[in-house]
Amino acid sequence: MNKRLENVMPLIIKYLFGIGVLVLALFPIYWMLTMALKPEIEWVPTEIHWWPWEPTLLNFIVLFIPRDMVISLGLVDATHAAVLTLPHETATKSILNSLILSVGGTAVALGIGTPSAYAMSRYKASGDFLFLTFRMLPPIAILMPIVIWFSTLNFMDTIPGMLLLYGLFPVPFVIWLMRSFFDDIPPEIDEAALVDGANPASAFAKVILPLVKGGLAVTALFIFILNWSDLIIALTITHRNAITIPVQIGLFEADVGHLYGIMAALGFIAIIPTLAFGLAIQKYLVRGLTFGAVKG
Amino acid sequence: MVLESLFQKPEKFKVILQIPLQIVMNFTAMIPFALTWYVGMTNWLPQKTIDWWRADFVGPYNFIKVINDALFLKSVARTLLITAICIPIEFLLGFLLAYVFMGEFFGKRFFTLVAIIPMMVVPAAGGYVFYLMFINNGPINGLLELIGSNSIPFLTNSDWAFTTIMLADIWQWTPFIFLIMSAALLGLPQDPINAAYVLGASKWHTFRRVILPMLKRPIIIALILRTVESFKIFDYPYMMTGGGPGYATQTISMHLYEAGFKYLKYGITAAQSLIILITMILVGWYAVKPLRAAQRGA
Repeated sequence: MNKRLENVMPLIIKYLFGIGVLVLALFPIYWMLTMALKPEIEWVPTEIHWWPWEPTLLNFIVLFIPRDMVISLGLVDATHAAVLTLPHETATKSILNSLILSVGGTAVALGIGTPSAYAMSRYKASGDFLFLTFRMLPPIAILMPIVIWFSTLNFMDTIPGMLLLYGLFPVPFVIWLMRSFFDDIPPEIDEAALVDGANPASAFAKVILPLVKGGLAVTALFIFILNWSDLIIALTITHRNAITIPVQIGLFEADVGHLYGIMAALGFIAIIPTLAFGLAIQKYLVRGLTFGAVKG
Repeated sequence: MVLESLFQKPEKFKVILQIPLQIVMNFTAMIPFALTWYVGMTNWLPQKTIDWWRADFVGPYNFIKVINDALFLKSVARTLLITAICIPIEFLLGFLLAYVFMGEFFGKRFFTLVAIIPMMVVPAAGGYVFYLMFINNGPINGLLELIGSNSIPFLTNSDWAFTTIMLADIWQWTPFIFLIMSAALLGLPQDPINAAYVLGASKWHTFRRVILPMLKRPIIIALILRTVESFKIFDYPYMMTGGGPGYATQTISMHLYEAGFKYLKYGITAAQSLIILITMILVGWYAVKPLRAAQRGA
């Protein structure tokens, strides 16, 4: 009996922890979803509604359809007080911007980072630790000078300006991740290509790059998550034209103040790609987050 | 001909490979960095609508003024306090969880997956949902009422607001430690551990004397990366309290953001940015050393 208990105990502890994790990790996400499904009357109720009494998709709809159209389609009764809680503008611009900037920034970061990573892996080029240090600096302190520079160049609040920043800030991750993938390929392969008469450039482009396709994909998803999650860069550089989702979440106000349900709906949309991509590259997350120092 | 030789010789090709990065980095980071030294020594205010290069040069005045800028110094102290409290808690929780989940059991993959979900939530959205959870009519106060306690003004009382910010940070980043420590525990050689058990060592003793020393490097790396990241904390105070009530939750990043971009005190904020940058470059230079050793596989 005692022996059996001793065998079962660790398993019980494991499952108790598992349930604890389940509740603690998922409750905030659950709460964001319920909030996103609540009609405006339930946003700040006097008692807690653990699940919306009258679930609605209106919060998601108004993110994409302008205010006037929502009223003319009859989704909201025009005489109803709920009209006051419609946002003045939709979130389509910020969602599109987020997509363009995250994808474009990732492309820029990979484009400038991958050749450097290769140079560091194969030709022992220096500067690699400089970038690690760069990553440790608080972005806001770097952004202050950039704002002065960008406003001199009229780059503030523009897509190209943001692309430069979203291409530069994640570069340390690109360098260290891609470097660890390049290091996984034996240098004999480069040498064989060179002996066969290829020049260094074509050995890199035609032989090595195809071999790290998987690594490039992992790095791309990782950088996409970083860019998509950014708040502080977008917040300081953009005002109206190039705003992204995280900035937009904070901007949703209407005649009556904070639009809790609509902000939650946008927040929910914001976490879908990061969750999907993060879980897709789960195997490589440790390598990415530790700059290749710990290989998961 | 010259161009061809650039592609032919490896030592020259190395230079070409780095050109794109050099261009973007110098244009986007280095020029403005140099510029800041100058702006940090002027009394430039953007609302005066003169260009920064026409502003009055005041020398190191701003740098001296920083020394008795109480708001700035307090925000530094606050950020250090957050780091000092959050990192040990995150580390202990994450490590404990990784240790408990060690070994195979039914549902391990599922629980691991769930455990790392908070880390992948966009921090701004995470901060916002913590705001929703801790407002006066929110679910946390609802739970407190269920167990018969009074509701707590989480976001309007200075101490509670500070605590709530740290809770959000702990919720989001404990999985980071968990993930790294799980990977490290998985990679441990089993022989020394089994040998210790065979020799009659207790569970605690084995952990303390055999397992822990083998985990030294991943532990140091995890702690360094988290510590450096937590100096940057911005999204939670911004989304949850806006730095308030008063200045109770104003971190370094919040302070620089508010002073620089809300109150547009560029000169002094540039000086403060430079001070933070130089400090962090020095810290970072030493902080990357263990990473450097690990990456070289030493």
